[in-house]
Amino acid sequence: MGVIDNLLLGLGVALTLTNLFYCFAGVFMGTLIGVIPGIGALAAISMLFPITFHLDPTAALIMLAGIWYGTAYGGSTASILLNIPGTTSSAVTCLDGYPMSRQGRGGVALLMTTVASFIGGSIGVVLLMLFAPIIADYALEFGSADYFSLMLLGLVAASTITDSSAVKGLAMVTLGVGFGLVGTDIYSGTQRFTFEVIELGDGISLVALAMGVFGVAEVISSIGKVDATTIDPESVKFKAMRPTRTDLRRSWMPIARGSTLGSFFGTLPGTGPAIASFMSYALEKQVSSRPEEFGKGAIEGVVGPESANNAADQTAFIPTLSLGIPGSPTMALMLGALMIHGINPGPRLLTEQPEMFWGLIMSFWIGNLFLLILNIPLIGIWVRLLQVPYHMMFPAVLAFIAIGSYSVHNSVLDVWMVVAFGAFGVGMRLLKLPAAPLLLGFVLGPMMEEHFRRAMLLSRGDFATFVERPISGIVLGITVIFLIYAVYSAFQVSKPKRAKAEPA
Amino acid sequence: MKRDYQDIITGALVLAAGGFIAAYAASNYDLGTLRRMGAGAFPFGVGVVLFVLGLLIGIPAFFRGGTFQTISVRPAVAVLGGIVVFALLVRPFGLIPAVCGLILAASIAEKTFRPVAIAGVCATMAVLIFLIFRLALNLPLAMFRWPF
Repeated sequence: MGVIDNLLLGLGVALTLTNLFYCFAGVFMGTLIGVIPGIGALAAISMLFPITFHLDPTAALIMLAGIWYGTAYGGSTASILLNIPGTTSSAVTCLDGYPMSRQGRGGVALLMTTVASFIGGSIGVVLLMLFAPIIADYALEFGSADYFSLMLLGLVAASTITDSSAVKGLAMVTLGVGFGLVGTDIYSGTQRFTFEVIELGDGISLVALAMGVFGVAEVISSIGKVDATTIDPESVKFKAMRPTRTDLRRSWMPIARGSTLGSFFGTLPGTGPAIASFMSYALEKQVSSRPEEFGKGAIEGVVGPESANNAADQTAFIPTLSLGIPGSPTMALMLGALMIHGINPGPRLLTEQPEMFWGLIMSFWIGNLFLLILNIPLIGIWVRLLQVPYHMMFPAVLAFIAIGSYSVHNSVLDVWMVVAFGAFGVGMRLLKLPAAPLLLGFVLGPMMEEHFRRAMLLSRGDFATFVERPISGIVLGITVIFLIYAVYSAFQVSKPKRAKAEPA
Repeated sequence: MKRDYQDIITGALVLAAGGFIAAYAASNYDLGTLRRMGAGAFPFGVGVVLFVLGLLIGIPAFFRGGTFQTISVRPAVAVLGGIVVFALLVRPFGLIPAVCGLILAASIAEKTFRPVAIAGVCATMAVLIFLIFRLALNLPLAMFRWPF
């Protein structure tokens, strides 16, 4: 099938009324939750994804994806108007977005962000369409040893490139793999680490873990820190949003550069949107003829990173869908949701379920269009929502977390697990342990074990198989470099302070 | 001599977790052979790796200074307590009373007590929950229940 056929197939799926509705619903709810200060993409997705369990897989996937980039948009609104980043990548948007809104140019910043995100996202989608099938084709030849090594690289890269220490990231990723062990062993049927609790035989609930560690812990740390009284409602009126000619002229090159950077970094394991937006910001500052304006409301510092993180958001689907290996915690969550629906992402997804794959991709575009519509004329609603006092907002958020975790299996145990993981998440913040790697390890752990054991079975117990297979060998080599860096940085006595950002 | 006690504690906890996983796996599950690994082999490996990472976090911390992170206890207790209340109430009394209980308990997080705001949030949530979970999604969740 040619590209055109695929596109038509995808459009046919994405444009059915039900799927359009769920796409819209996802984007709408994503924006709604994303705007709420302190709730990042991960928390938002984990809150909302129980809702999708009751849909058919394609609709669920379309809605989840909508929720995801909806949150990204909503998060940038909160960053620009209130200086509260919901995600690591929108922390960059705060740097110049918030100063712009202090100067009464918040509306312009929001509009340009929306446009930049749309362009970045579109470029990402095109690349996804072009490359995912090629990679999937190639990946059909991958063996278990290759998969194991690729996953290992993904985990190691994602945990060493964090904003806290590399060994702590590695420890959390390993602990995540440990949590993933709980449940029935697929080979022998042994109940592992279930401690006689029958319900644990199915493993720890992904929803409970994600909601506890991200949702609950984020709510706790935002209480008392959010103040929405500084927004000037005049600056975000539709009329005040129109960018000047200078704004436009200064924006298009950063958008182009940001999209390119973002597309590239999105595909790499472990880097993703956050790194892409930091890189884009640094690059714009470097090439700008007015570097002194950065941090004081330079529009380049808003549109570049925003287009970068949206492009990365889309290209991050390339490894997730074509290899079944997520590069970022958010993608891990998407992958987890897919598996709950009984779909195994991987090279075969494209050939076995082309309607789903292409339908999803076309829905990205439609979703991005919806976002444009939702965010420009309706921005007033989101701003009004930001002004709801946080003491009324957070109990409502918590209620949805509790109901969401309860409704998945109608199980009270899942709610208790949210409490336990919430407490755990608070503890992790106390000890400055990054939470994102934990989730990544939790999702990838069981798959890694399966591939590891299968590879060892095939090689008759010979570890050399991981080095002798060319793909696996090269990937492991790269992994070792990351590990050496991690150990080296652990022993550095005075570590240079890196840019601090809230873990997403 | 300055020491980073926070990271020493972190390292010790990670090390303990790793040690526990490895020991528990080795003593309760079949390790198998390299060729045909048992249920305990991979967990054992995970435990060992975690143990080593605990050392890597903890040992360097003896040679540098550090600060303690602080966290306000009140919101943490109130928020977690709210979810506990939900877990206790949802089976016997149904969804809406459980949510109201959660909201009430969680609002202790703020120092000022705002009865009107709390009642407003409860009422809004009750309506929303009914609309979303009963009418739109049609989930089999009991809204109200009377256990006696």
